[in-house]
Amino acid sequence: MVTADELRTKKQTWFDDIAVGQEMPPLVIGPMTPTHLFRWSAAIENWHRIHYDQNFAVYHDGLPNILGQGSWKQSILPRYLKDLCLPDGWPWKVQFQHRAMIVPGDTITVWAKVTGKRVADGLGLVEMDVGMKLQSDIETCPGTATIVLPIKGGRAVPYPFVAPKEA
Amino acid sequence: MSETKNPLTDEVKALVGMSAEKVEASPPWGIEREGLRIFTNAIMDPDPRYWDDEFAKSTKFGGIVTPPIYCSYIGRKTLAGVEDPISRAFRENPNSDGIGGVREGGADRKGQLPSLPTSLKRILNAGNEIEVYKYPALGDHIYSQAKYHDVKGRVTKDGTAMLVVTTQTTYTNQDGEVLCILRASTIRR
Repeated sequence: MVTADELRTKKQTWFDDIAVGQEMPPLVIGPMTPTHLFRWSAAIENWHRIHYDQNFAVYHDGLPNILGQGSWKQSILPRYLKDLCLPDGWPWKVQFQHRAMIVPGDTITVWAKVTGKRVADGLGLVEMDVGMKLQSDIETCPGTATIVLPIKGGRAVPYPFVAPKEA
Repeated sequence: MSETKNPLTDEVKALVGMSAEKVEASPPWGIEREGLRIFTNAIMDPDPRYWDDEFAKSTKFGGIVTPPIYCSYIGRKTLAGVEDPISRAFRENPNSDGIGGVREGGADRKGQLPSLPTSLKRILNAGNEIEVYKYPALGDHIYSQAKYHDVKGRVTKDGTAMLVVTTQTTYTNQDGEVLCILRASTIRR
């Protein structure tokens, strides 16, 4: 798990230094516990019982256990991409599917692998396959993402972000 | 044996492009530190850009900001003073799943799209697409507007009718700047 000081002092990853096929540093979260799941439900006031009431999840809905929330997964991938881009890049786009359940005991590895890179309007766009794998190697959240990394000697990545016209 | 019809009816097609009312997603006091602290703890993100004023001022953001899609979660909160939706839901249905009855009368009904006119009841999450343009800052007021972005219909080889429904929600701040766009696809069968 990344620390506050690591994020405070993170060195920029430059577009110039990225290669197609490169695996980005993963983020490992877990093992997840019922308490982690309950904390998320309370934080966003999602009271669906399958996420914290084991009797309801198992005996009413026939699930193997309480389930990790899709909304939690949805917030983790952008958070991971944000970390990859810090301090001056931008986590522009991500799309993904929900494929497999996360249950207590699971450890999740958030990952990205570069599939392409191109320059558009002077901005360095990096295309990646992304996902969230379980300890069993099952992919729970396969998808793709586009991040924008600064080019050495190039123009700054705008904030607020402005999508390149050529993209 | 009758042939299964494609569920993409004219009534369903007519909803594509339809937008819901634009509503304030943030609470009346806007983006605030305590909600941000609770949220960032729950995604286990210790980034000082979310809590350290001095450091945040030195970044390109110029101050405290929120995680990329934080604004998509803040509209789900029950505001003070309203009837407790959890008590009401379980009074009406002791076996409530904690979702349906709780949400139906809650504050988060504002800005909802009209229901899809279909008999297909089972809903499966088919995926999400997110575009991020700006992070909300402390004190910002966030607005959301949902629309039916796309609906596709088909009948599978085994005769199952299904719709793939994509809704798009655009989040903006008090200055009209787009913060992020979320597209969520569901399968109705």
